[in-house]
Amino acid sequence: MRDRLAIITASVAGVFMTVQYFLTAPAANTAYRTILSWMQVVFAFALVVGVIGVLRLNIERLGKRRSGWFYSAALVAGVAAMTILGFVGGTDRGTPFQWVFDHWQAPMQSTVFSLLAFYVASAAYRGFRARSGESTVLVIAALIVLLGRVPVGEWLSPVLPRTADWILNVPALAAKRAILIGVGLGMIATSLKVIAGLERTYLGGR
Amino acid sequence: MGLACLPATIQLKDLRLGSQIAAVGICAIYMCLPVCADALALSATGSPPGISGWFQASRTPELIGTGLAILALWLAAFIVRRGKKLRLRSLPALEAIGDALGRATELGTPVLYSTGWGGDMGRPTTMASMTILSDIARRAAEFNCRLLFPSHDPLIVSVAQETVAQAAVAAGRPEWYRADDITFVSQSQLGYAAAVDGLLARERPGAVFLLGTFEGEALILAETAHQTGAVTIAGTDSTIQLSFFLVACDYTLIGEELFAASGIAAKDPAVAAAVWSQDWLKYLVLGILVIGALLAAAAGVDLSKLISH
Amino acid sequence: MGTPRRWIFALVGLAAVAALVLKPGLPASVTQDTRSVYDLIESLDSGAVVMISFDHEASSLPEVGPLGAAIVDHCFRRGIGIIGLALFSEGTAAGYELLGRRASVFGRSYGSGWIYLGFRPQYTSAILGMGENIGDVFNLDYEGHAVTATALGSRVHSYNDIALVVSVADGSMPTYWVEYAQARYQVKIVAALTSVMVTSYLPYYESKQLAGIVAGLRGAAEYEQLLGHPAAGCRGMDAQSAIHALIAILIIAGNVQGWRIRRSRGHGEA
Repeated sequence: MRDRLAIITASVAGVFMTVQYFLTAPAANTAYRTILSWMQVVFAFALVVGVIGVLRLNIERLGKRRSGWFYSAALVAGVAAMTILGFVGGTDRGTPFQWVFDHWQAPMQSTVFSLLAFYVASAAYRGFRARSGESTVLVIAALIVLLGRVPVGEWLSPVLPRTADWILNVPALAAKRAILIGVGLGMIATSLKVIAGLERTYLGGR
Repeated sequence: MGLACLPATIQLKDLRLGSQIAAVGICAIYMCLPVCADALALSATGSPPGISGWFQASRTPELIGTGLAILALWLAAFIVRRGKKLRLRSLPALEAIGDALGRATELGTPVLYSTGWGGDMGRPTTMASMTILSDIARRAAEFNCRLLFPSHDPLIVSVAQETVAQAAVAAGRPEWYRADDITFVSQSQLGYAAAVDGLLARERPGAVFLLGTFEGEALILAETAHQTGAVTIAGTDSTIQLSFFLVACDYTLIGEELFAASGIAAKDPAVAAAVWSQDWLKYLVLGILVIGALLAAAAGVDLSKLISH
Repeated sequence: MGTPRRWIFALVGLAAVAALVLKPGLPASVTQDTRSVYDLIESLDSGAVVMISFDHEASSLPEVGPLGAAIVDHCFRRGIGIIGLALFSEGTAAGYELLGRRASVFGRSYGSGWIYLGFRPQYTSAILGMGENIGDVFNLDYEGHAVTATALGSRVHSYNDIALVVSVADGSMPTYWVEYAQARYQVKIVAALTSVMVTSYLPYYESKQLAGIVAGLRGAAEYEQLLGHPAAGCRGMDAQSAIHALIAILIIAGNVQGWRIRRSRGHGEA
């Protein structure tokens, strides 16, 4: 019965949101705006649930000194520190909260993001091998786009940037569009399955 | 005391259900009040406009498209329920799942599953991934192979916990399920990537499944998984990250193959029928593209203007 | 970690450091895509209002930060009002700090020259809600003032009053801006993205669902050239050139090595 209630709620909400898209009636518009406000509230509480969940898990790991407890200590300390700084000092420019964000969080995250540069290089060395006709075309296109999109390519030859633009705007764009259309249709089908009650993964597989 | 006053035929679970129905009812009334007020105000000023005054004519193409999509899905489900068998081409990535799980079990290592940082539970790609997770979890439970599921979204964690627990029950091994292996790690993209990388480096899973909506963390996870020696099976709707997965992973589901895989993994013919409906809609789109291209080339007619605002 | 990977990582690090130290300063021409966005903002009236959404994380600040700064500078220079917001929690602090810093350079005061709405979770409802009434989504701004009490906020009620939305993003947020804001409310959207994402948004640009695209550090460098003020974007292009060239060399080296291995196997079998 509980599952049936959830499925009915999802179906009714889905049908309503679909129908109201085509209506200009003020009543439909009011209900639509109310639902949007509710989504914000529900998501905000979901964030709280998530934070409580991760704190519970890491405090337990810290308390029982399980493997990796040091990292749990760092996480709990970070959450506590930023919460206190935010509430006590505020989040305006020049506050300790902003200072920690600018000088700790942003550089740490940028550092992890910079791993991509190294991983792209190693993945390219490993993956771009001309073993067949198609892969040879791929390797040549990759070389042209790699060099054509940066000033060194313009310096080597003005043909490189023009060819790189053509590769991006014609064959690559065509392939992207095809994948986008396929993915879009897949999303439509999955959404309709949820509304029709056929797709129940959000109930946890029941 | 209060419970003792109730008729004996009412059970505690009925009370729980009753309170749920009451909660939904109260919410519905609260939401309907402004709607009713608007409707009353409208009726007080005069009779409401006819259907043409209420309908957004500029959205007619979307209405037709929605109608066709609904018709295609209904027809596919109808045909499948009448007994017609759905034949799908094989997906190497899907077929490799069993081998990957077997390899991880032989090595005594866990498997890791990620739905990516890019989507939430409302995203169809995430829902499709959850269906595949259910299948993989059931098989992992049968093999007694540990399943790790780090996530960036508390709602996804909640659904995943239910899904994996149900899968364990379906496999006849409810004791296999470990809630602590399905955790919320971080909402931040690179925080999530760092956490999953840490898991990969420490646990060294034998198989890694990267199925869902990924963004910048895709290559970080795929390369780290490769470095730890895991078999990687990936699938995403993101056209950017597909390029990275194709280069860095052993098997890749490209775009809508993820949804097709979800239909196959569901083992419910009606759910799998959606794959048929996708194909029919694709043929329709292809037909419109061909007709549009011919009209544009031969007669200079821009078909897109008919279906745009 | 295999030996080749170790050397590859070392070479990438060396290439980036060498380029930043030596500063070759190779010139980069301005592409039509960037020029279109520049012209679009240039064509707005000085009293227009632009909404800039900082939909990125702190991790991509080195790439999208200069891009966002260039667009903000352009708007402030033209006297265009900016309404800032963030649909990613980390973009909140980054966007507020950027707007405050650039506003003080151009002498734009908070409330009349710019306001910052802050962060809202659940981007779908936020984007759709602002199409109906911005006050429904943000009744208070980031500094705690009533949005309608500010000079800029009182002029803007929904997308109808906004000339352009710029999404400074490192993820899929421009897609949602297109799907919800542009499709439903026909507001113009410009995407300021990381370079790797540009190919995914070209379909939207070609079909005019996006009014413009500026991509990555290259786009920032081009925009800075158009503004006549080279900054972080131009400086970063040297390192990007060096690493792209290195990756091209690695691809060629990998293929040469693979060919040699296949050839020696062929000789061995013979």
